[in-house]
Amino acid sequence: MKTGKTVSIEPSAPKEDKPQIRDAVGRTVTQRKSEVRLGREVQARIGQQLRAMYDEVVSEGVPQHISDLVRRLSDQDDGAA
Amino acid sequence: MKLDPAIRDQVLATVPNLRAFAISLCGNIDRADDLVQETLLRALAHIDSFEPGTNMPAWLFTILRNLFRSEYRKRRREVEDADGRYAETLKSHPEQTGRVEFSEFRAALAKLPSDQREALILVGASGFSYEDAAAICGCAVGTIKSRVNRARTRLTDLLAIDSVDDFGPDRATRAVLAGGGRT
Repeated sequence: MKTGKTVSIEPSAPKEDKPQIRDAVGRTVTQRKSEVRLGREVQARIGQQLRAMYDEVVSEGVPQHISDLVRRLSDQDDGAA
Repeated sequence: MKLDPAIRDQVLATVPNLRAFAISLCGNIDRADDLVQETLLRALAHIDSFEPGTNMPAWLFTILRNLFRSEYRKRRREVEDADGRYAETLKSHPEQTGRVEFSEFRAALAKLPSDQREALILVGASGFSYEDAAAICGCAVGTIKSRVNRARTRLTDLLAIDSVDDFGPDRATRAVLAGGGRT
């Protein structure tokens, strides 16, 4: 499936000991906060609140049952579930 | 065929963002987790169609969104009520309250048409480029830009009403005038 853009993914992506909230393209909260300064005040507030809401879910990490599912499916010998 | 652990880790690393996006679509954590689970089942069954080195988050988001559009929306009796139901779900999340401003923001977000809300979240929260967001939603880049702009304008309008009360000069001005009344 084409996604329009190729991004090389760093092998060190998942660090489990020190969880850091990242958006889907891997930027941290700190990196994004610097962008906010560029916008006007209301726009900045909208951006911050949108991310606060979203990051609240992101910060929950990977639920155990989903982690188990992915590991189980990726370890099986063929495509059959 | 065993899955390359590096690919598996990329999938797992995307899950928190997939959930956040799924909740913004479904407006409900249980439905969102079902949707994420189905997305992962489908993605792993078709992992051969993922080109290593390309954008894993965008690939998974596309699958999730297509799944939501094709199956979850169909299950709804009243598709037109999607936004109303979304708003209702937000109200039933007591852990989100606390800050008045924050709940006002959620209420404002719930008033947006779902395509605008989706575009705003992909670009403004998930951090996708306009190009990636357009690919995920299967529409033109210009369409995404226009949806995001309309979403921001509408939110600005909705939230500006509140900020007049919060930051309006009247109270401060009155205080100064009152203070200046002394001789």
